Formats: sequence, structure tokens, C-alpha cells
Amino acid sequence: MAQITDKTREEVKEIVLDFFAEECEIDVEEISEESNIISDLDGDSLMFLELIEIFKKKYNLNIELKTIGKYAVKNPVKTIGELIDMQLLIIEHENNILDL
Amino acid sequence: MGNKIAFLFPAFITDFTEKEVEFLQKNSIDINQYLSRISNTLSIEFPGFFYDNKYFREELNSQILAYAISCAMSDALFSKGLFPNLIAGYSMGIYASLYASGSVNFETGAELIYKAYNLVKELTETGKYGMGAIIGLAYNDIERLTQAKSYHAEIINVNNEHSMVIAGTKKDVRELLEKSTDEGALTTAELTVNTPYHSKFLLKYSEPFRKYLNKIQIKNAEIPIISTYNQREVVQLEEIKSELVFNLTQKINWYNTMQKLINLGINEMFECGAGKDLKKISRFIKGDYKLKSIHKI
Repeated sequence: MAQITDKTREEVKEIVLDFFAEECEIDVEEISEESNIISDLDGDSLMFLELIEIFKKKYNLNIELKTIGKYAVKNPVKTIGELIDMQLLIIEHENNILDL
Repeated sequence: MGNKIAFLFPAFITDFTEKEVEFLQKNSIDINQYLSRISNTLSIEFPGFFYDNKYFREELNSQILAYAISCAMSDALFSKGLFPNLIAGYSMGIYASLYASGSVNFETGAELIYKAYNLVKELTETGKYGMGAIIGLAYNDIERLTQAKSYHAEIINVNNEHSMVIAGTKKDVRELLEKSTDEGALTTAELTVNTPYHSKFLLKYSEPFRKYLNKIQIKNAEIPIISTYNQREVVQLEEIKSELVFNLTQKINWYNTMQKLINLGINEMFECGAGKDLKKISRFIKGDYKLKSIHKI
């Protein structure tokens, strides 16, 4: 179980914002934690999956996609802020996220 | 070394970027003229195009519109002096592929869509069949779920390692989507299609479709098309006819088709069609290539 620090949160936020800025071909300043992933950024599930892959590699996470899928169905995210929070939970709890 | 280019043609329109018309107009192309030519060919009066026109959400009309936009976009690229080394069409995108390859003229491509649609219409009109998309489960997971309940639904296309398309009876497609969600799929969605394209339910239409193909004017392709059925290069007339039958009645594999293009050295791909579905599903297809939505050019 990883310890989430302010530095981790800033790091995750930066990765998420940079990712969406590049994918959506917009300036990172145009994205905020309140941005709606679908209606504001035209995001989709495959983008979410790609982000998970990025974090799995970066933090060497032991988590199955199916586990994240089961968690996400019960805890859907709409905004960039909620997505950042979910990524932090994934980093912190890995495969135990379903026990939350 | 110069770029090796492929034109890719999507199937149905799920979302517009709403930059399609602007792109065509910039290239002096009026999409309504393309629709008008199809109206004259099929003796069906298509209304003028605008993005929210519900008329084009009906299955056949949607296919016709997708075809018209795809052909218009490839014409725009040709007019800019861009010529592909290879072509591939995703599902019903095969018809625009044939047009771009020089194998059929614009009107014949529209007739092919109309014929294929009418051939399978008896299934479509029952309202008992459908398709769905599953994102976040592996092929084997979905196969296992399908076999466990002997569903009358099957994987009919692999978009990439995390994205599959299923087709079958509507009831079983819906159940399989629900089971997939329970299993941990990130997203499942029923597609707004009443025809189980590429599934075993269409096999019985192979012969009638082949007979029809023998009556219409098709030529060898001037630009090779990569088969989505078995990823061979298709050029010759008889191979094109076979591919058309396979494309309608057999499973396809877009992931393998993209891999084939990449392995053949294609490093620049253009999505010739409305929306950016092919760009989206290319997300997990690795390789040294760029896939460009056409309005970015």
C-alpha cells in the first residue's frame, strides 16, 4: 500500500492534465479539476485505460483492469478532479480498492 | 525515405467532430451534391445534410451518409495530391474503400450498400438483433462469458486488446453486456444497430450477395485494400467480390488489420470519414505511425 503525499497528488494531477491537454490538443491551462471529462474534453473509456497504463508503469502497480472496472462502475467519475482522486486511490490501494 | 500512407474508412457515424462540412467546403466539396447523386441512383430522396438531422440516424440512411462523407473526404485528399499506398475499411467502410481504390464508381458503391442492407433487412426489421461494444475486458474473458451461457451472441471484431464488438440476438447481446459489466468491463454499450453484422446470423446471405456481385460493375483495385477478414492484400476482381462477401457475413479483426498496415511500413494514416472513431480505437495499437483525423490537415 503506497503512501499518498502532497507530492504524489501534484505529480498525478500534472500527468492527468498533460495527458488530456495532449489528447484533446488544447492548452493545459484550459483544463481544471472541474472540467467534465466527456462534455468538456470529449474523453472516453480508452483514454481512461491509457492513463491507468501510464500509472501502472510509473508506480509499478499490482492491479487488474477488471478490478478497476468493477470499482469504476460503482464509483463513476465525471470530472478531472474525480479522476485524479480515483487514480490516487488506485495507487494507494491497488487490487484492494474493492475493499474500500 | 518518404512516408507510406494509408487511407482508413470508418463504418457508422457515432459522433461528428462538427468540422466535417467545414473541411469539405475548404476543399470546394459540397456534401449535398454527393447525397444528391445517391438520391438519383437509388431513387430515394435524401434531405439536405445538417449535423442534428435525425433522418440520418436511421440505419440505412446513416450508412449512406457515412459512405458519402468518406468518399468526399478521400476525394479531397486526392485533390490535395495525397495518394495512399494501401487502403482499409472498417466494417461497412469497405464500400468507401472500394471507391477510393478505383474498384467501383461512386454510384455503384451506394448500390452495394443498398443491396447489402436490403438483403439482410428481414433480420433487421424483426428488431430481434443487435450489436454492442465492450471496453476493458480481454478477448478470452468475453469468450468465456459467452460460452458459459451459450449466448446467441459472439465477438465479431477486435478493435484493440481492450475493445471488442459483439453481435447476436438483442436479448443475448444485452445479457452479455450486463455480464461483462459484472465481470469488470469499464464500459459497455449497446450500438444503435438492428443488424448483427459480421455474425453467424448473416452467413445465409453469402450466396445471394455473391450472385448479386456478379451482376454489377467492379474492377481490379488500383490501390491494394487490406482485408479486415484475414488481412490479405486484395486487388483482383474475384478477390474483391470474396472480400465483400466475407466482410458482410464473417468476423473481422481491425486490430490485426492495423498491425498488418504497420508491418507493411505504413507510417501515416488518414481517417477518411465523419468523427474520429478509428483514431480513438488506435489508442492501444502500438507502432511507429501517426493516424490523423482529416480535419486536422
